[in-house]
Amino acid sequence: MSGKYSAFTFCDRIIEFVPATSARAVFLVPAHLGEFAACLVAEAVGQLAAWVSMAHIGFRGRPVAALAGETRYFGAVGAGQTLGLDIAIEHCDEESVAYSGRATVEGHEILRLTDCVAPMLPQRDYDEPEDLAQQFELLRGPGALPGRFAGCGRPALTPVEVEGDKRRVTRLDVPTDADFFSDHFPRRPVFPATLLLDSAIRVACELVASPSRSCEGHWRLTRMTHLKMRDFVLPGQSLALMAELLATSDETARVGLTARVGERTVATARVEFEAPGESR
Amino acid sequence: MEFSKEDIAAVYPKVAATLADALGCDVDQVKLDASLIEDLQAESIDFLDLVFRLERAFKVKIPRGKIIEDARGELSEVEFEQRGVLTEAALIRLKSFLSEVPPERIKSPLKATEIPRLFTPETFCKVVLRAQRAQVMA
Repeated sequence: MSGKYSAFTFCDRIIEFVPATSARAVFLVPAHLGEFAACLVAEAVGQLAAWVSMAHIGFRGRPVAALAGETRYFGAVGAGQTLGLDIAIEHCDEESVAYSGRATVEGHEILRLTDCVAPMLPQRDYDEPEDLAQQFELLRGPGALPGRFAGCGRPALTPVEVEGDKRRVTRLDVPTDADFFSDHFPRRPVFPATLLLDSAIRVACELVASPSRSCEGHWRLTRMTHLKMRDFVLPGQSLALMAELLATSDETARVGLTARVGERTVATARVEFEAPGESR
Repeated sequence: MEFSKEDIAAVYPKVAATLADALGCDVDQVKLDASLIEDLQAESIDFLDLVFRLERAFKVKIPRGKIIEDARGELSEVEFEQRGVLTEAALIRLKSFLSEVPPERIKSPLKATEIPRLFTPETFCKVVLRAQRAQVMA
């Protein structure tokens, strides 16, 4: 199992665990990383919920990202800092898992996920249940080696269409080969939804920072709602990421996100930004 | 009739609003007898979303797979479907259970995986009413 659960696994040690109910864990963001994106923080929270739900059903199934009612962004984690992860399971069985969770840095909440739901899919299609069970015991015991995440880069985005400051379409070419596919997932590589969202949010950021809006500085992502992943995105597929301005004011902007592979909508979400100078 | 029109009308506005939110459509597009899949483009992930949203909106528990289980009623699995296709007994049972669906839409042969294509907003009103009833009886 050398190297497995390193390339895209964001939990070093589970420090509290109540079966099928809750868990707390830690993850050290390696000091050599330039940044650790908010999408990866959300991934870390989701992965902790996945460990708890998989353990509950003997690793026969695994949740795959599907729905997130609300994600709130309060701050960032820096390289060399330790993320605190905390999840509460609302419902968990062979069919689905529902949970909420949050991430903290030095006791300060930086991200909160609520009303997340995912179907449980047959584990053997994605990974070896025995390997997962063994890794789970390691995480609950001495923990995995901290600092093993080497980063995962960001795919290039190619602008396709710009409709003034109302709409942008950008192409994302999913790599055919990337380290993160070895964890996500060992038996069936799937482009992580959180990386898709990271790119889609970048497109939304460019849209709200359009020069036609008067203020200067960075619009801050504050909230994502109505996230729904409808289909898997596979290595080598080409995605159209659409960001459409839904509402805007001097203080906030709301953007609808849609990701398509050909004519098929694979993901939808809404994101909200706060204008430069506005505080939480 | 399992539920009266008044029973359905009592929960329908909240069910319609929940459905519209889950499907990202306007509440005016949601009609009591619309097919969720054919008219409102719902997919399987939307049903999972909808069930959780209804649980929160109505503060009830809706066990997963409950609609299909209830649809089967007292029929055994073998009596209900064979090689994935519903039996004649199952079709009769389904027409009674999904009384909100026009009988001509419940065509033979019908695969068990196609049952969700029949669901309408009224189907989910009944799901909520059954869950409320179960909660009272518990």
